[in-house]
Amino acid sequence: MTPDRSAASAPEPGLDGHTLAELGEYLDRGRTPFDPSIEGSAGCRLALANLSRLAGLSTGLLSRQAESEPARDELWIAGLLEIIRAEIVSGRDVPVAHPDPALRLTLTEAAVRGIVRRAGDTLGGVVMGRCRLDGDVDEPGAVIRLDLSCAIEYGLPIGATVERLRHRVRAELARHTELVVGAVDVAVDDVHPRGGAADV
Amino acid sequence: MFRADGDRHSEGLSPGSPGPGREADIIEHDALLTADDALLAARAVDGDVQAFAQLARRHGPLMRVYASRLLGSDGEADDVVQESFLIGWRRLADLDRPEHVRAWLMRIVSSKAIDRMRVRRSHDDIDDWDPPAPDASSPDRIVETRLQFDAMWLALNRLPPEQQRCWLLREIGGYRYQEIAEALGLPVSTVRGLLARARQSLLREMEAWR
Repeated sequence: MTPDRSAASAPEPGLDGHTLAELGEYLDRGRTPFDPSIEGSAGCRLALANLSRLAGLSTGLLSRQAESEPARDELWIAGLLEIIRAEIVSGRDVPVAHPDPALRLTLTEAAVRGIVRRAGDTLGGVVMGRCRLDGDVDEPGAVIRLDLSCAIEYGLPIGATVERLRHRVRAELARHTELVVGAVDVAVDDVHPRGGAADV
Repeated sequence: MFRADGDRHSEGLSPGSPGPGREADIIEHDALLTADDALLAARAVDGDVQAFAQLARRHGPLMRVYASRLLGSDGEADDVVQESFLIGWRRLADLDRPEHVRAWLMRIVSSKAIDRMRVRRSHDDIDDWDPPAPDASSPDRIVETRLQFDAMWLALNRLPPEQQRCWLLREIGGYRYQEIAEALGLPVSTVRGLLARARQSLLREMEAWR
């Protein structure tokens, strides 16, 4: 292999003594430090624009190829899920009281998060994101804070929807757990059009 | 502090999923189909397997095309992609920016594909490279962009394997020159030359369509 004897590393006409390799590297460095002999050449600026455009097309090029392939069959997805399910980190144990003091019942933190997500997902117009439980969930009676994020359907009143979500989450947690819920902080991260993705 | 909201229900805990049942699953699944990456990633970090599956459906195909071009083999690409998702799942806690989950997954698949290449290099230095599969897409109703992409894809496939790899690792994987050199076991100067030639060939193809 003779890497440096190629046309790409020989000065090209129109690039004012620069090579395409040089320009590519200059672009890869984010056009820093500023090189007046490159930036001052119309030919180099045109080549840089083309190189940028090529870089911009690269993901699209592979994505298009990926779209033309058969979709990932659900069997493959199911196989993957089976593998990762075995590795679920269930988090802390959340105690649940039982009339029989000899019986120790617990819910996992992961299950509690699942309850919260479901409460939000089934509200209508809301898709839940993050769900963090702040505080000593493993201490019966300790006040915990919920840190939630969600996306809300475009057109729904945000304040009122967040209020409905808070109420619903509190009700569901009260129904299934004995957690003492203090603040329920909700961050609305995204607004999505009805029945469609915000961006695909 | 007392709970002042919500009714206490006296029913016991239902095992599995509490809540409204099958209908909820359907709602949830639909919602996840259209949810953006950042939201899915945030849920996956919290241990939501379905959200992670949706990320796999969405980005698996790109990861597979990328890995199969790097490795020159579809079968190996499948293994590498599955391995990458498993590693991704284990390392989700390290994902700082959920909105960058695709780039993060691409980074993982890059490094897994490189590991395979290294193993191969240590066994033999014959480049076991499958010719690209013929494009089976039908020629009717083709638009200009498609044609350009198809032409560029063919041009990419015509490049020597090392040029393809340099270009893919740089433009798709976001690797630095030094990292590419280490990944491919080549001097940095060689990587520079290979990358420049790959870009030159692809530029020619791109400009033919202007």
